Amino acid sequence: MSWTTRLAALLPTTVERDAGGTEPDPRFTFANERTFLAWSRTALALVVAGLGIVQLLPPFPGVPEGRHLLGVPLIVLGAVLAVAAYTEWVRNQRALRRGEPMPTSVMPWILAATITGIAIIAAVVLLLSALR
Amino acid sequence: MTAPGPDETGDDPEYRDSGLARERTSLSWTRTAIAFAALGGTVLKVNLATGLIILVIAPVIWQLGRVSRGAIPGADGGPPAMSEVSARRLFVITVSIVGVALLCLVIAILGRSAPGALR
Repeated sequence: MSWTTRLAALLPTTVERDAGGTEPDPRFTFANERTFLAWSRTALALVVAGLGIVQLLPPFPGVPEGRHLLGVPLIVLGAVLAVAAYTEWVRNQRALRRGEPMPTSVMPWILAATITGIAIIAAVVLLLSALR
Repeated sequence: MTAPGPDETGDDPEYRDSGLARERTSLSWTRTAIAFAALGGTVLKVNLATGLIILVIAPVIWQLGRVSRGAIPGADGGPPAMSEVSARRLFVITVSIVGVALLCLVIAILGRSAPGALR
């Protein structure tokens, strides 16, 4: 499947048209929606954290690009998580409507891997900053 | 997954009334709107125009949650199914967050930093 087809499948009109199955129990729909909203807030928190690091922290001595190294990936991760959250919601809702098993989510893995990476970069930046 | 049958309801209030789920979802929408407002307030310190744009999104998000506060639509010719209504609302939130992230990325890369601006 091409990227354009995949992107088109995420548009609300396509989601509604291809929903299939039957309307699930409202409680499951609500739970799916809350999960999406929780991921959205996580995405917003990452964006504000990234912006705060770049704009509000004093520069690291000896590592002039240190703030950007830490902040920019957080903002990008926020945008990626927002899109991934919507994709997950579509997949989950489709599975609920069709009575299929819930798909496995890769979002916790993405979040954990990226935050670990940023923590390592932060440690390196702090060490370099302390050594100079 | 379907709703439990009449003999499966038990004593769990959740099974007897999905209004609790609706209430939790409504609160979740409110928290999301507050998160937007908080982000807008922070960005306001760095870039006035962008901060105001994000602050304006907050009440829109809160308003989008109104479906979660309304009646659960019926399947027999009533209002549209919840998943249909949700797709549009959640798509709007996703586009808003990606837009806000892009704006913040531009500010982070091109904007002048203001250490201690929150003090």
